[in-house]
Amino acid sequence: MTRPARWTTLGLVAAAAACSDIANPIRNDFYEWRLITPSTTGPGEDSLTFHWPKDRLPVRIWVENAASLPENVPKAIAAWRTAFLYGEWDATLVSDSAAADVIVRAGGAPGTQFSQTRLHSALAPDCAGATDLNVSDDHTTLQLPVRVYIDPRSDPTSPALPACLALTTTHELGHVIGIWRHSGIATDLMYFDPGVSAPSDRDLATAEVIYHLPANVAPAGP
Amino acid sequence: MRQTTLLLALLVPAGVSGLHAQTEYYARAGAVGASNLLRDVIVDEITVRQSIAPMVALGASVPMGARGYRVGLEATLASGKFHSTENGATTSLGTLRTGTLLLALEGPIRRELRWRAGLGGLHYWPADKTGIFRSGGTTRFLAGAGVDYRRPVLPKWDLMTSLRYDWHRFTTAELKDRGFSQTQGVSRLSLSVGLSRSAR
Repeated sequence: MTRPARWTTLGLVAAAAACSDIANPIRNDFYEWRLITPSTTGPGEDSLTFHWPKDRLPVRIWVENAASLPENVPKAIAAWRTAFLYGEWDATLVSDSAAADVIVRAGGAPGTQFSQTRLHSALAPDCAGATDLNVSDDHTTLQLPVRVYIDPRSDPTSPALPACLALTTTHELGHVIGIWRHSGIATDLMYFDPGVSAPSDRDLATAEVIYHLPANVAPAGP
Repeated sequence: MRQTTLLLALLVPAGVSGLHAQTEYYARAGAVGASNLLRDVIVDEITVRQSIAPMVALGASVPMGARGYRVGLEATLASGKFHSTENGATTSLGTLRTGTLLLALEGPIRRELRWRAGLGGLHYWPADKTGIFRSGGTTRFLAGAGVDYRRPVLPKWDLMTSLRYDWHRFTTAELKDRGFSQTQGVSRLSLSVGLSRSAR
């Protein structure tokens, strides 16, 4: 091989190495997250997809000072934040409930209004959770604030209560993010009666994919 | 990487004791731009890229042989934003600082123009441990080359203009944890101006 040919070959090899890309993982281990509800335009069903648009980030969350919520909600935010590589979702605590996108209260959920959809969670004897979504009649708007209820049902001294409150809070925040349906697998935190303490890889993959697909429900409110 | 950096830092001064009078020092300021750090596909293609960032460079070199060759160390520091882009929509991901240390050989092209090429390392310091940097920054091997143009402005001082290209392969611990394989080739180009204290 002549000297110019050697240098040309070396240059081409270097250029090929310089141009190759990182290989991304295949993300196919997620579950159905859409809220399936009777259609507003006739027989059949409608599937609702929601995620917080970028201009509404960070999501403003107001938290009642009870049921370990001030400790558990930041941990829940941190847990769900790990799902995202590209700043798709974030949340922050606010002191003014009137300016909040999400209100988290301790106690049982009150009776629902006509337009509300309630996602119940946790059948454990120690605590329960519920997330109320006020979706407009035409299924295009989520009226804010989203209301979350964390209900410590057992004796406050019950040893199982702290863990139940923590995982239920994280579970309900999964609904707030946009997972508007329960997983069918018990090892997922978004299972209807969760037993694990943190979002599973499937939970995180589901949250991630929601933010890269178009939503058909948009938030409206404060 | 830390050992390599330490070795480089010790070798040059150790090998050039007595050459202090022939040592050239320089400082420059300029801007650096980089190609994509990452390409990903979740639904559509997502790219992550650093914005053009201000940079400073400090360096020193000593003569090597009689043909005008010199060997030296150059350190740079740049600080700027980085962002992701998906379907034309851009999201700011915060501040990203990069530091490089390069051991380089340089030689003459023409009277005031010199080439240089070297090897070293590059470190990424994200301001926040989130997203692709959730597990922290990363250090990568670096290869670089460039040209310097020096024009005397004072008896001992030259105005120095430098064009640099460097290349490394990028990944982070977080990306590896998430199943990304291989690495992304990243090219950087910088243009900077400064002063060099000449050995003449």
